[in-house]
Amino acid sequence: MKTPLNQQDADAFYEQLLDAHQGLDERQSALLNARLILLLANQVGDAKALKECVEAARKLAA
Amino acid sequence: MAERYAEVAHTNGYEFTAGSGYQLPEYPFHEPPEIASGQPSHHPVVIVGAGITGLTAACALAQYGVPAVLLDEDNTVGVKGASSRGICYTQKSLEIFERLGIYGRIAVKGIQWSVGRTFAGNDEVYSFDLKQQGAFNLSTQPPFINIQQFYIEAYLVDRIRELGHVELRWKNRVTAFRQDSECATLNVETPAGEYTIRADHVIDATGCHSPFRQWVGASVTAKKGDDRWCIADVRFTKRPPVERHTWIEAPFNENRAVWQHLMGDDVWRIDYQMAPDADPAEVSREDVVRERLARQFGADAGIEIVWVGPYAYRSECVDRMRHGRVFLMGDSAKVVSPFGARGGNTGIADADNLAWKLAAVLRGRAAPALLDSYDQERHEAAQQNVLVTNRTARFLRPASPVEKLFRDAALSLARQHAFARQFVNTGRMAVANPYTRSGACDASGGLSVQNVVFQWPDGSRGSVNDLLRWADGHLLVLVFGGASAAALDRLRALAATAPVRCVQVLGADDRPGALEHVRDPKGHLQGACHVFGHAWALLRPDSYVAATGETVDASLVHAVGRALGAAVEEEEPTA
Repeated sequence: MKTPLNQQDADAFYEQLLDAHQGLDERQSALLNARLILLLANQVGDAKALKECVEAARKLAA
Repeated sequence: MAERYAEVAHTNGYEFTAGSGYQLPEYPFHEPPEIASGQPSHHPVVIVGAGITGLTAACALAQYGVPAVLLDEDNTVGVKGASSRGICYTQKSLEIFERLGIYGRIAVKGIQWSVGRTFAGNDEVYSFDLKQQGAFNLSTQPPFINIQQFYIEAYLVDRIRELGHVELRWKNRVTAFRQDSECATLNVETPAGEYTIRADHVIDATGCHSPFRQWVGASVTAKKGDDRWCIADVRFTKRPPVERHTWIEAPFNENRAVWQHLMGDDVWRIDYQMAPDADPAEVSREDVVRERLARQFGADAGIEIVWVGPYAYRSECVDRMRHGRVFLMGDSAKVVSPFGARGGNTGIADADNLAWKLAAVLRGRAAPALLDSYDQERHEAAQQNVLVTNRTARFLRPASPVEKLFRDAALSLARQHAFARQFVNTGRMAVANPYTRSGACDASGGLSVQNVVFQWPDGSRGSVNDLLRWADGHLLVLVFGGASAAALDRLRALAATAPVRCVQVLGADDRPGALEHVRDPKGHLQGACHVFGHAWALLRPDSYVAATGETVDASLVHAVGRALGAAVEEEEPTA
């Protein structure tokens, strides 16, 4: 899993992400996020990196 | 003990079956000789349960010429009134049945198909055509065949009677069991009275209600869910369906899953997912079933109900498949939902795995410790099959709103993007499980070998199964490519001292050495054995490679010893 910054324009991506959710209700937003996770996971591909990402996200839950 | 056992039958729990059913063969009861003599008999192997697993074990032992007795509480195959059960048999199972001599009958009666379509709502999510997938094409058996389980069981019974060696005892119900350092002792109840039978080895193939689990003290890891299903096996007098379809969310079934596929005799299996915790008696009532069928096919499809069977999601796995003299096999060892056909096919592979080992040990060709590799190999397979089936079950019955959310996301992506189809899990077809922690396999082995074709020296066509039949229960050393004079000498010495048969596998132009040889001009046999270039493969009677290597040297000798149990850690002896 990469933790140093690894994208050209983080601010632009963040904005794009928020814009994509505009006008969606809670269920539609959740579905968008789920689709996005599946799409991005296929870009990452590497099983070990994916596992570490899932664990890192889970560690902050509750 | 006997009383508790009397409460449950060996059958697989289809209590609410209905429909006109099938005509099942009935087999005669003969009074066992022990009743008149009053003396217990002693046998090297006793098999309990004549389902697909027990009968495969019996047939494989018969083929190796190992005497055995098979006890079954009923006098027929299938279960009376519930004669359907498994319908899909994988390439590995079909290859095993080819070796046992019943594949021809299965191919004639069964159905082969290659196109499948998966739907969610009214849309097709994706379709596939197995003919476009290369990996299965080299075997002489197809990727799978759909056929009612009891047909295979009946073919096995006929074949066992042809082969001899195994005595089939119908209406013989085991009521008690114990084992010690001398033998296993079984009490058996029959219409003519009770008797006692003793055995060195017992194969428990009694199914998911196995009484042996308690008798041997087997611990079980189990999981039950609220998912409920109801099968309807039907014939159509008008407008039958034309393809195999799977609905993850069927509009005609309250957006729950439905399977539709064809098996022998023009019978379609329609498998409906029911509401969570649905009452099995209610969902399998004929008028309820007919209404469900009419919603899918229309009121005028001319539907004849052959069989109806409800079942609940269930997953169980014993923690060890060998307990002293007892080998748990098939559903006795593990129970899964039917997704991916990982029930019956696993039982068939369990039986094929143990049969050659028992034959080798009983003949003195292998160390008794080899029998422990049955648990090492088949328990790994059982756990893998439970894991894979549970993943499918979780996709088909999401356990929480977020699990449903991800399924919705996966389905919507799958309609457009190829990668997302991989998330759509309606069952992963059973495979020949690899063995990665077996004391009898090297790290270079543990893989199944497909029944591919090669040429005998006279140019005629042979297959891996022909070679295995020729080897007659011995290990087979296949040496690919030309071999040096020194290597040939070492192979001759090995064949003279160890229970192996050696065969040279040559390309179209290679010169044969003094060994037995076959030709593999297209490299199919070599590919099937998972090796490249100059190499050897040590092939077991169950068509798994125990080990592979490059040079004919001490590593091969070591692999032979290991494949025959020299390195398997022995189980603690039973008290």
